[in-house]
Amino acid sequence: MSETSRFTEDILSAAKQKAQVIVNEAEAETERALEEAKAHSAKEAEDIASSARAEAEGVKRRQISEIRHKLKIQEQLEKSKILNEVLEQARKRIMDVVKDEGKYTPYLADLIENGVREIGLGTVVVHLNGTDLKRIDKAKVERDIGKKLDRTVKIEWSKEPIETAGGAVISSTDGRTRIMSTLDQRLDALESKLLVEAGKILFGQ
Amino acid sequence: MSGIETVKIIVDAEKEAAKILEVAQNRASEIRKRLDSMIQEQREDMLRTARKEATALVEEGEQKGKVEAAAYEKEAENDTRQILSRASTRKDQAVTKVVETVLGLNA
Repeated sequence: MSETSRFTEDILSAAKQKAQVIVNEAEAETERALEEAKAHSAKEAEDIASSARAEAEGVKRRQISEIRHKLKIQEQLEKSKILNEVLEQARKRIMDVVKDEGKYTPYLADLIENGVREIGLGTVVVHLNGTDLKRIDKAKVERDIGKKLDRTVKIEWSKEPIETAGGAVISSTDGRTRIMSTLDQRLDALESKLLVEAGKILFGQ
Repeated sequence: MSGIETVKIIVDAEKEAAKILEVAQNRASEIRKRLDSMIQEQREDMLRTARKEATALVEEGEQKGKVEAAAYEKEAENDTRQILSRASTRKDQAVTKVVETVLGLNA
């Protein structure tokens, strides 16, 4: 091979090598850029997956929470129904007691006595319903109370019957001070306490 | 070979070398030009897959929620039934307590 041929071979060989370097660099540069972009896109994809996982968890929790809420309301309604039945049956049983003179009359006398003691006056007015006004032995009650309190007590029996299932209202003669001891009033006043006590028995462990 | 011929051969070789380099430069430009569309395509592929997986995840969450809610409902209904059944057996006791509290005596 002549000197000239070798020289031209060298020129072409160097050009080919340089050409390969140019192409290789472009490819490597592209590869790097693709990798960087891939990492960025992977981050975006992970954000989407992460949001989806949170949403899925939220959906799951919401479904359980909704059913829990629904069941709680149902349970409360059922409990409330039973409590109301208990109060209703208690009212009926109280009415049975009122009808049973043997049990009720001493109870009414005690109520009146307690009212008289509480009001602390020498003369009081006792208000009863129509049935009790007729059946109570007024003179005996007045006498017994006087003995128990160890002082003279004058009881004026109001002729106007009050609207109540039973029990009594004891008042001062001017009506300014009143001790409400009717069964209806006691039921109303004690209702929240009764619900708590009945609830403990019914639903306690 | 004369000197002129030698120079001509060398000039031709230089021309060919320049042509080789020009072709390489053009190829490198082509490769770089394709980069943007490749990145865009790659991103769209990845995000499409991620969205598909996300939809599946949410659907799976819904299904799991339904299953867990149904299991909870069954268990809670059973518990409530027991509570209410026990309460029914204690009703009379509760009525007695209420009556005693209202009347202040043993009914």
